Amino acid sequence: MGATLRALRALVLLAGFHLLGLLLLALLGALDWVAWRWAPAVWALKTYALSFVLAVPVVRGMLMLRTPRDEGVAGVPVTEAEEPRLWAAVRELAGRVGTRAPDEIRLTADMNAAVTEDARLLGLRGGTRRLYLGLPLVAGLPEARLRAVLAHELGHYANSDTRLSGITERSRLHVARTVGRFEEKSGLKVAKERARQERKSARRVAKGKTAKEVDTTGAGFSYRVMARIYTAYGRFSMRATQSGSRRQEIAADLAAARIAGRDATASALRALPALDTAHEFYLNSYATLGVEFGMLPPHGEVFGGVRHLLDARAEELAGMRAELPTEPATPYDSHPPTAERVATIESLPDDGRSAEEDRPAFALFASPEAALRAVEDATLTPEALSMRRLDWPELVHASMTARYVRDTEPLRTAITELPGTRDDRAAGEGTALDLGLGLAIARQTEAFLDAVDTGAVWDLVDRLPKSEEAAAATGRAAREFARSSLRRELARLLTTALTADGRARWQLSWSAPASLLLPDGYADELPAALDAAIADRPDTEPLRKLLATGGAL
Amino acid sequence: MTVLLWIVLTPLALCVAAVALVFLVAIVRGLTRDVRTDPGAAETAARVAAHGLLPAERQHTERAAPLAPALAVALAAARAGDWAPAAELLDATAEARDWEGRTALCERLADLAAEEDGWLRDWEEARPADPGAALVRARGTVFLAWNVRGGQRDEDTTQEQAEGFRRVLARSRAEHTRAVALAPAEDPAPYVGAIWTAMGLGLPHEELRRLWHEVTDRAPHHYEAHFAALQYWCGKWCGSAEQAHAFAVRAAAGAPAGSLLTALPLIAHFEHDTSDATDVDRTPEMYAAVDALLADVTAADPDHPRLPEARHLLAYYLWLQDRHTEAMEQFRLVDGYVGALPWRYKTDPAEEFCRARDDCAGHVPDGESRPPLRR
Repeated sequence: MGATLRALRALVLLAGFHLLGLLLLALLGALDWVAWRWAPAVWALKTYALSFVLAVPVVRGMLMLRTPRDEGVAGVPVTEAEEPRLWAAVRELAGRVGTRAPDEIRLTADMNAAVTEDARLLGLRGGTRRLYLGLPLVAGLPEARLRAVLAHELGHYANSDTRLSGITERSRLHVARTVGRFEEKSGLKVAKERARQERKSARRVAKGKTAKEVDTTGAGFSYRVMARIYTAYGRFSMRATQSGSRRQEIAADLAAARIAGRDATASALRALPALDTAHEFYLNSYATLGVEFGMLPPHGEVFGGVRHLLDARAEELAGMRAELPTEPATPYDSHPPTAERVATIESLPDDGRSAEEDRPAFALFASPEAALRAVEDATLTPEALSMRRLDWPELVHASMTARYVRDTEPLRTAITELPGTRDDRAAGEGTALDLGLGLAIARQTEAFLDAVDTGAVWDLVDRLPKSEEAAAATGRAAREFARSSLRRELARLLTTALTADGRARWQLSWSAPASLLLPDGYADELPAALDAAIADRPDTEPLRKLLATGGAL
Repeated sequence: MTVLLWIVLTPLALCVAAVALVFLVAIVRGLTRDVRTDPGAAETAARVAAHGLLPAERQHTERAAPLAPALAVALAAARAGDWAPAAELLDATAEARDWEGRTALCERLADLAAEEDGWLRDWEEARPADPGAALVRARGTVFLAWNVRGGQRDEDTTQEQAEGFRRVLARSRAEHTRAVALAPAEDPAPYVGAIWTAMGLGLPHEELRRLWHEVTDRAPHHYEAHFAALQYWCGKWCGSAEQAHAFAVRAAAGAPAGSLLTALPLIAHFEHDTSDATDVDRTPEMYAAVDALLADVTAADPDHPRLPEARHLLAYYLWLQDRHTEAMEQFRLVDGYVGALPWRYKTDPAEEFCRARDDCAGHVPDGESRPPLRR
């Protein structure tokens, strides 16, 4: 199929998307007309009512079809004056691809690169070209591979034998966005209905009745019906254009291989899924570790910190690069499966460029740090920007400590409410502030140990949340589960007390979870001390000694 | 022009009809599920009942055989806080040097002690150096550890269960040492318990060999000791299929008739059998192994505490080898109690037991329900 035909088909499919609603309304109208003309009055009335009910979601659906607002231009623009080498590289690649260089380069915080073009007159005329370049991607790739990625993206511009191919992409994008909005909307309705029912059921419980199961099957029904019709159509048109867009991806890959070298392109393709996973993991486990407690890594490190992770886990990543996903990410992904793309590139003849010298892609930047800071400032919310900034090791220690303090709070509160807790030990709210957190927690731990000595602790342990197995256990087994629970809580409380006053430290590691560095000798003595405290005849002395040594008490 | 009206109404009517059809299908399916698909099932059930065999819901799933009256009394007394009858029974086994009986009895008492141990503590206080109490204490801790752990494989055991299991089981090491110190010199019972501890804690092979030496010095053909050691050598605990088979075959070969140790090769086979077909159960080796156990069971003392367990296993393999008449004889002897291998490992032991038994009954012609005449 020629490019013109392809574009025409895309146009028809896009038009069909808008005509769908009209067609449905016309059908209903025809039904009414038939009823009015020939059916007895009772039947006619029923038909009117039915068609009205059916027409409501159709009209609502059509209203939702208004072209979604442009999702805004993300990222930080960089001028040629700021990053001359980056611009020179992009221009050079565009020249070799045989297309006009982008008008803007915008830096983003994604592990991704993309190009767009604001086509005008349905893509008959080209518009502003933008290259979006994710800094984490730059951090994760050597220069040759980044060039391959850029050549691929620029290849999309050049690959169009005719500008009309822009229409295909645009209509795909449009359909995908609309379907997405439909799903979002019906999902939102379900969420609203759920919240409403949950409030209601909370009231029921408050009134002493049993809670009703939350049932959201009826909510957003009309939306979901419409969403289903449009999604089905969308899927159909996606499938119809999919082979074309997948061919375009392969063409862009081949262009990249020609310009940036076969091996660089293949290894860039291999690296992308692994980098994606690593980036996701970095964001969840490192960058946002302290966000709940209002803490962030230093300026420029929120997105730049992924470099440390990639360095430390190079081996793990190499393993991930070796195994590639053979399935496309979603059924209507415009990209073929990575394994297929890699195979296509690697089957090309050797171009003898594998031995080329390589350096980090950040070498293309005059000031990577400035770029990272600028992207951070543009991406983070004002709320996030006002958070406290801490160096990585300090951030890990402070975040983990804060987490432990928060997680042990219910227990510590329960301790202060225990009968027989000595007044000077009980850290009420006022005193807790006066004493400082570390001292307060140490005192609460002492009070907890008192409760262990008197046996009062078992009531408290019994009230803690239990696993299914622990809850099902009876007799001595149940008591052993309680003992396990007490041991865990003791360890957690002691860790909290030691970290809160700085005697123990959470250690940052880029290649493993954070580990706890205890004071000298603690690691050896702690297990035995815990065992002594949870024995039938508890001995809390060893734990008290550990808690007191070098501590604030 | 009413034709057009029909054109409109027909799809609606068709829709209603389709929905009605769907409901109808669902109702019919639901009904047929209750109807037995096997027409001979009712007949078999009747025949099984006529033999005096019990339905699945009346099978006792905790035990392999009924409790001896004296033991039932002792357990009830212990439950009520009186340890004396239990102590008396346990002392009697030591006096009679009935080591097989001693470990079997200890197992029952320890099972109770793992639930509640007030009576055992009273016992320990009343007789601080009692070998029986020390034995039950150590073995009770082993049972307790398993109660915490649950019976699932390692991958289905939660971290909490695994931690509690190891912590509790570790306590039993010192308790076994104490039980050894207090026990009569020729009593293998504390070492038998220690094998279970070694298995649960994954102690090294040298430790097991040391224990094994102590056991076989005192009781070379002790059934529970062999059963425990075989479990240790199984792939799922501390050994491998090869080690387990080698151990089982060696033990069976050297055992006198009536020791029931010929069950070991079958257990080793069962523990490592991952096949869905019965081909692996019908090899010449397996026929020979089943024959050996059949002879062993016949030669065994009728009061051997492990005889019912052996019969359960024997019935299972006779059934798998289509030896229905011989299988039926064993099934009849153990009917009513299904707490033994292989049923114990199934999700619904009673159901599995009855399925196998009823299948055999279906193949045994009436009139041959009595034991066949022996040559």
